[in-house]
Amino acid sequence: MWSRIISRLFTSLVVAWASVTATFVALHALPGRIQDILAGDLEYPGLREAIAAEWGLNRTLPEQYLDFLFRIFRGDFGTSYVLRQPVIEVVGSQLLPTVELALTAGVLAVVIAGGIALLTAGRSNFSREVASVLELVFASTPVFWLGILLLMAFSFNLRWFPVSGAEGWKSIVLPSITLALPTAGLLTQVLREAMEKTLDQPFVTTVRARGVGEFIIRWRHVLRHALLPAVTLGGWLIGGLLGGAVITEKVFGRPGLGTVTLGAVLTHDVPVVLTVVLLAAFIHVAASTLLDILYVLIDPRLRAQ
Amino acid sequence: MFDAPATRALKKYVQVMRMKNNSLLVNGIAVALLGIGAAQAADQPISGGALTWGVTTEPSCFDPHRSSQQAAFFVARNYIDSLIAKKTDGTFAPWLATEWSISADGKEYTYKLREDVVFHDGEKFDAVAVKANFDFIFKPENAATAVSLLQTFDHAEVVSPYVVKLVLSKPDSSFLESTSNVKLGLISPKALEKGDLCGGGRALAGTGPFIFEGYTRGQSAVFVRNPAYKWGPGNAAHEGPAYLDRVTFRFLPEYAVRTGALTSGQVDLIEGVQPTDAPLFAEQPDFKLLTGPSGASTSFTFNINYTRPPADDVRVRRALRDGFDLEPIVKQVYLGTVPRAWSIIGPANPAYNKALVGSWGNDIAGANKLLDEAGWTGRDSEGFRTKDGKRLSIEVGYPQPYVRDNRDILIQGVQASLRKNVGLDLNLRLITAGEYAKNNANGTWTIYPNTDNPSDPARELWDMLGSKGFLYANISNPDPEITRQIDEALASTDPVRKRELTDAVQKRGVDQAFIVPLFAPSWFLAAKSTVNGLSFEAGLDSPSSAYDFWIAKK
Repeated sequence: MWSRIISRLFTSLVVAWASVTATFVALHALPGRIQDILAGDLEYPGLREAIAAEWGLNRTLPEQYLDFLFRIFRGDFGTSYVLRQPVIEVVGSQLLPTVELALTAGVLAVVIAGGIALLTAGRSNFSREVASVLELVFASTPVFWLGILLLMAFSFNLRWFPVSGAEGWKSIVLPSITLALPTAGLLTQVLREAMEKTLDQPFVTTVRARGVGEFIIRWRHVLRHALLPAVTLGGWLIGGLLGGAVITEKVFGRPGLGTVTLGAVLTHDVPVVLTVVLLAAFIHVAASTLLDILYVLIDPRLRAQ
Repeated sequence: MFDAPATRALKKYVQVMRMKNNSLLVNGIAVALLGIGAAQAADQPISGGALTWGVTTEPSCFDPHRSSQQAAFFVARNYIDSLIAKKTDGTFAPWLATEWSISADGKEYTYKLREDVVFHDGEKFDAVAVKANFDFIFKPENAATAVSLLQTFDHAEVVSPYVVKLVLSKPDSSFLESTSNVKLGLISPKALEKGDLCGGGRALAGTGPFIFEGYTRGQSAVFVRNPAYKWGPGNAAHEGPAYLDRVTFRFLPEYAVRTGALTSGQVDLIEGVQPTDAPLFAEQPDFKLLTGPSGASTSFTFNINYTRPPADDVRVRRALRDGFDLEPIVKQVYLGTVPRAWSIIGPANPAYNKALVGSWGNDIAGANKLLDEAGWTGRDSEGFRTKDGKRLSIEVGYPQPYVRDNRDILIQGVQASLRKNVGLDLNLRLITAGEYAKNNANGTWTIYPNTDNPSDPARELWDMLGSKGFLYANISNPDPEITRQIDEALASTDPVRKRELTDAVQKRGVDQAFIVPLFAPSWFLAAKSTVNGLSFEAGLDSPSSAYDFWIAKK
C-alpha cells in the first residue's frame, strides 16, 4: 500500500513539473515579444527594460527555463506590472477568502448530496421525485442568477444576511449556498444512482437477511460502495468550485482569487494570470493525489494488490 | 413640524402598522408625514456619523499620479488636495494656493501657498513639497500617468518657502486647469520617496479632508476624518474638518446588488444607478436620486479614423453621421435620463459649442444620396451596399474593459438603424484592451467609441483629434486644418481667441464627421434621504468628495 502511495506522489510531482513547463512553453509560444506580453496594457519608459532584466530575457532559452523553474520552486512568481506589486502578494492575500468560500461550499455540497441520496435512494416515493426535479433545476441554474435570487430574498427583503464583504460568518452563508447548490445537484444524482445500483447487489440482501436495520445498511455498507464514483467526480468538483467562485465573488462583492483573476484577464496582467493558472494546476494535482490515496482507504481491494 | 422624537415615534408607528396590517392608505399617509419631518430636520449640518458608499469600480491603483481610471479619481479626492479648485462655471477657486499669477508670455505660473497645511503623515506642506511632487511626476522612471498633463512643463522653482513657480517650455493655455486636476494633487514628499503607493492605506499621505485608513482588495476602502483640516477648497459648501467621522467605499460591481444594498439600508449611498432602477429612488420619501452634470468630460462619441478606407471618404463619414435618428435610440436605452449629444464637448461645459445643436443628423435621404455619389451603389444578399464587390463595412472596435452603462446596447441600436436606413454595415466588435493597444500603436483602429477624461477643453480636443493626441499619435497624416486649430488653442493666452478656436474645432470635427457625438453621460447618485450635502465636482465631472456630506438624525 505504501509503495502505491509513494509512486502516486512521485507522479504528482512530475505532473506539477509538466504544468510549469507547459506554462513556460505557452508564454514563449505567444506571438510578440515577452516583455510586451508581460507588460499588459501598460506603457511607460523603462518598463520593457525592467521586465527584460527581471526575467533575464537576454539569456538563452534553456537558462531562462531553469531560472523560471527555480523561481517558481522558491515561490517567486514575479511582479504584476499593472498592479505594481509582487504577484505572490496579490494572489496570496486573496487566496484565503476563496479557499474559505470553496471549502465551505464544498462541505455544504457534500453534506446536502449525501443526506438527500441516503434518504431518497431506491425509494420510489414522492420525495424522491421532488428531490430529483430540484437537483436538475439546481444543477442547470447559472450561479450568477442563483446568487441574485438569494440576495433578493434573504438580504434585500428579509435582511438576514449582508449583501457583500467577507466579515464574520454571516457574510459567507449566501455565497456558499449559491456555490454549493449546483454542485450538490449533480453530486446527488451521481451518488443516488450509485447507491441504487449497490442496493441491488446480492450482498445487500445477505446483510438484510442478517437483520441489520435499513439505516445501517445504507450508511455503513451501501454508501461506502457508492462513494467510488462520487470521489471520481472530486476533481471536477474542485474545478467547478474554483470556477464558480469567480462569479460568486463578483455578485457578492467578496474579495478573492476570482476578483483578481477577472481583473487580471481584462487588463492583460499576464504575470497574475500565469500564477493563477499554475496555482489552479497545483491545486488540481494536489486534490487528485489526495483522492487517489482516498480510494485506497475506501476500497480494500486496492490495498490487497 | 415634527421634532426628532415625534419623527421616531411616527417611524415606530409605521413599523407597527406595517406588521399589523398592510393598509396602503395608512402606510401612504404615515410615509408622507415622515417625508415632511425629514425635510424639516435637513436644515443644519451635523458633525459625526459613518457613511458607506457602494461604488461600481474598484480602483486598480489609488495613487492619483499613477492612475488612469476615471473611477479612481473621485475616490482619491477624499484624501488628495490640489493647488487650486475648478468651479462649475469654468473659473478657479483658491485651495492649497491662495493666489496665483501667469506671466505675460504665458510660460511662468506662480502660486502663493497656504502656510498652515500639514500632510497626513505630519510633514509640512510648502513650496519644497510642491516642487517635489512636480519633479516626481515629471521623471520618466517614476512612470506616473499624470505626466501626460506636463507636456509643456520644464521645471519648478522654490521662490520662497511658500511661493512656488512652475516654468513651462512654451505657452500652454491648459496648464492652469491641469494644476486643479487630482492627477497633479499633492502627496507628502516623504511618502513619495517610500515608493509604491498604488495599494493605498496610511502610506498614501495627502492633505485631504479624509485620511486613508485601509484597503481590503476586492471589498472596501476606508477613510477617516482629518481633524486638522482647515484648508478646504474655495468651491466647497463649508470650512473646517469634514462632517463625517468615517467613509467606507464598498466595491459592488453588480447593478442589481448596489440597488438592493441601498433599498435594504446596507449602504447609504450608491453611484451608478441603472435607468430602470431610477424610479425606486427618485421622489421617494426614504431616498433621493441626483443626476450629475455632464460638464468636464467629453460626450460619448464615435471617433472615426478618417485616414482608413472606406471612412477616408467624407461622404461615407457624413452618411454614417446622418443615416440614423439618434434621439429615440438614446431615449430608449437611457429612458430619458441623459440627453443626446450635439458636440464633442459636453453640454454643461462652458466651452460647449451651442451652435451645433440641430446642425446635423437624421437625414436619411441625404445619407443615401451621399453613398450613391461615393459609388456604393451595389447591394449584396444581406442588403448591405457594395462597391466593386466589397461590402460597405466599418468596424467599431470597443475595448471590453471600457464597456459600461449599456453603451454597447446604444451602439447596437445605431448599428440596426444604419443597416436598415442606408445599408451601411457598422460592425460592433468587443475587443481586448491589448488588441486595441496594438491597433492604436499601428494607427489601424477604425472607429473608437470614447469618453475622454476631464481636462481643459483644448487639451481634450487635442487628446482626441490633435496630431500627438492618444488617437492620432501614430497616424502620419492627420487633418492639417484641425490639428493647427488645436495647437493654436493650446498656445493661446487670450481666452476669447481660445474660445473661438475650440468652437471651430468642435464645428470642424462634427462637420467633417471625424467625430459623431452620441450622448452626454452623467453620473447618477442615489442615497438615503438622510444623506445631505451631495454634489458633483466640475473638475472631475464626477461625484464630489465626501467633504461636504452629512447625515441627518432620524
